[in-house]
Amino acid sequence: MTISSRGLERAWELYQDRLPYARMMASQGKKIIGYFCCYTPVELMTALDLVPYRIGGRTDEPVKEADAYLETCVCSYVRSAFDMAICGEYDFLHGLVVPHTCDAMWRILNIWKLHKPLDYTYFIEVPHMVGPSSCHFLEQELKLFKNSLEQLVGRKITDEALRDAIDTHNRARALLQEIYQYRKADPPLISGTEIARVLAAGRGIPVEEFNELLLQVIHDIRTRESESRRKKPRVLIYGGEVDDPAIIELIEECGAAVVMDDLCTGSRSFWEPVNLKENAMESLAAHYVEDIRCPRTFRPGKPEERFLYLLDFARDFNVQGIILYLYRFCDGHALEAPGLKAYLNRKGFPVLHLEEEYTLLTKGQLRTRFQAFIETLG
Amino acid sequence: MADNTDRKKENRTQSARNVRPLVESMYLRAHQARERGQKVAYCMVMSQYDEILAAMDIVPVWTENYGGLCAALGTAQPFLEKAEAEGYSNLICGYARTGLGFDILRAENGEAPQTPDGGMPMPDMLLGSSIGCDTRFKWYQALGHYMDVPIYCIDVIVPPVTRNLYEIKDFYVKYQAEQLRGLVEFLEKTTGCQLDPDRLMSIIHRAEEARHWWWEAQQLCRAIPAPMTARDHFNIFVPHHFMIGEEATLDFYKELYQELKDRVDSGIGVVDNERYRLLFAGGLPPWHSMGIFSYFGSLGAVFPAQLAYPPPDPFIIPDNINDPIELMALRSFERFTYRWEQAHRGCGDFWVQHILELVPEFNIDGLVMHGVMSCRATSMGQIYYQNAVQKYAKLKTLFIGSDIVDIRTYSEAQTKIQIDTFLETVETYKSNK
Repeated sequence: MTISSRGLERAWELYQDRLPYARMMASQGKKIIGYFCCYTPVELMTALDLVPYRIGGRTDEPVKEADAYLETCVCSYVRSAFDMAICGEYDFLHGLVVPHTCDAMWRILNIWKLHKPLDYTYFIEVPHMVGPSSCHFLEQELKLFKNSLEQLVGRKITDEALRDAIDTHNRARALLQEIYQYRKADPPLISGTEIARVLAAGRGIPVEEFNELLLQVIHDIRTRESESRRKKPRVLIYGGEVDDPAIIELIEECGAAVVMDDLCTGSRSFWEPVNLKENAMESLAAHYVEDIRCPRTFRPGKPEERFLYLLDFARDFNVQGIILYLYRFCDGHALEAPGLKAYLNRKGFPVLHLEEEYTLLTKGQLRTRFQAFIETLG
Repeated sequence: MADNTDRKKENRTQSARNVRPLVESMYLRAHQARERGQKVAYCMVMSQYDEILAAMDIVPVWTENYGGLCAALGTAQPFLEKAEAEGYSNLICGYARTGLGFDILRAENGEAPQTPDGGMPMPDMLLGSSIGCDTRFKWYQALGHYMDVPIYCIDVIVPPVTRNLYEIKDFYVKYQAEQLRGLVEFLEKTTGCQLDPDRLMSIIHRAEEARHWWWEAQQLCRAIPAPMTARDHFNIFVPHHFMIGEEATLDFYKELYQELKDRVDSGIGVVDNERYRLLFAGGLPPWHSMGIFSYFGSLGAVFPAQLAYPPPDPFIIPDNINDPIELMALRSFERFTYRWEQAHRGCGDFWVQHILELVPEFNIDGLVMHGVMSCRATSMGQIYYQNAVQKYAKLKTLFIGSDIVDIRTYSEAQTKIQIDTFLETVETYKSNK
């Protein structure tokens, strides 16, 4: 494949070629470890030169074979991802790591193992509650995960290597934060579609390579020739594993600028850095318990407190409307949505609440819903 | 209707018949407690905190039970529709939709809707947990939009089967104890009362004795003919799940044991001609249409065991633990990992392991699973269970599809056709065995 020197183009190419690129890395001797969700501590894999690969699905193809092995009452993102595995598209994986984030994650590993055995699998029990005891528990869990990875590779993770890995991932987080700041301009200096492609590219390559890509992207943005772009209604998209840039692209085709997200594959996965203290494992555990704002974690407090961060996003990015783009059978988001919608409405934000399958095979209806909502935003 | 004609042919136990009055008294007591100012808590089953509530005189209202009750009595529909009108997906847990609909209507109208057993009294607190599914804490978080009462949720941690138990036991038990202690601290602050550890310990002992008798009663169901109907199985768990620690609950299970023993000793079964012994091996029951189990019975099919609400596995209280919270945390770990070692060595899955143990013990001829459209936790993996079991035991599996509450998802006629066909294949399998 050819790799463009320009960051945004390269990101798009990397995303489109993510599967062959991963196969190429595997053929060169890299161990590619698939993982689900933003609760997997990828830093531990990076510290051992393993390549973490975020498992995605396909919105452009129907589930073909997975329904023979997986119930249809499961979220279609998980079904699609598993379908890719069954169809052999993830055969480059050396292993798979699944954190206990939601009910679907709780079950999928054994099903995957039965039908697509892998050399290495690991399940991390992640607390659903926040607090010091939860952090301490996860620290113990992560120590065992670390041991397991060390056995896989045949060497120990030194404290220095772990700290370096955390720093490298924090660097990616900081660079992404910087890129997101360019969305605050009106019109934004980088589109939601472009950012979605950058994020998507980063989910399948080593973090060091991703950081280089991000620097190129920042350079691209800074040196772009000024275009006569018109202002568009500014929207924030909220949801789960919305990993296909085509969804963001569709919203933008309908006349909006997606200027911020609260998605598992977007800001939720990088907004907060690991606060690296003396004990690196403790720091990692605290990050993965406290910092990720997925509804799978119970946070005490009234709606005004729990959703304040989202209100801050909306205000900081000068958002005019919010799209709750949720997948059917995702209980965490489904139970959150009506209260969240009411809260955002009270704060003056129009909200479009959609519950969809993980597919873009039937774009027409979705396009109509987006268009109608965006028209109301003026 | 299966409910009226088929049911007459079944020989139900008196113990199971006694459950409905117990449930009525449970709701009556909760309402009375509310009236006299005693603290009432919305609770989730299996959260491992039951005995703490009993020891602190907090009256639990089991919100999932109320969903099942409304479904069984055919009164859930207005609540489901209300929750859906409020924006809750028709794919989220049927219990949660029922409970949310009920409480949203109460919030709107200022009084509880007219429902069975007077409805759920207004709670003073919501006590969720992470055991089993995410809905058990997300539901109460959602309720926070409609009622201004404190919410407290705890983690209940189930170790992965792949782990070395000796390696994880200490920190798993420690975390569970910390979670329970956090709850106690919250309850003491909310109620203004201190937990009496001696009282808690005594309630734990009584609860464990009740569990022991239930477990022993269940072992009697190995007998041929089976002494208890499927519907009875789905009734007799109620005192344990909703009234544990009470003397009446202990008495209930002692009486159940005696009744089943008398039946077994006398060779009394639940149907005249027992032909097939089935295991309810996945999902939760279709509470809206429990008569379907009588239809099984009318065709000579009995359910000696079920995995929706099985009795807790045996646990012997160690002599050397004086702290009841530590004991409860240890008990959770021991119970959750009861068959981990066997699963770890064999099939690799605790649920499949349980099925594989019950099949020979209870002479099972086939498996029945209920795919619940609104429940990921109990429905995801059913095909996997079937496939994994086939490696060790050649058994036919029937998959029924509907919901725990929402009857709109159910077709009795279709289900009966499925059952007829399934039992024909079981018959063939048995004759070829």
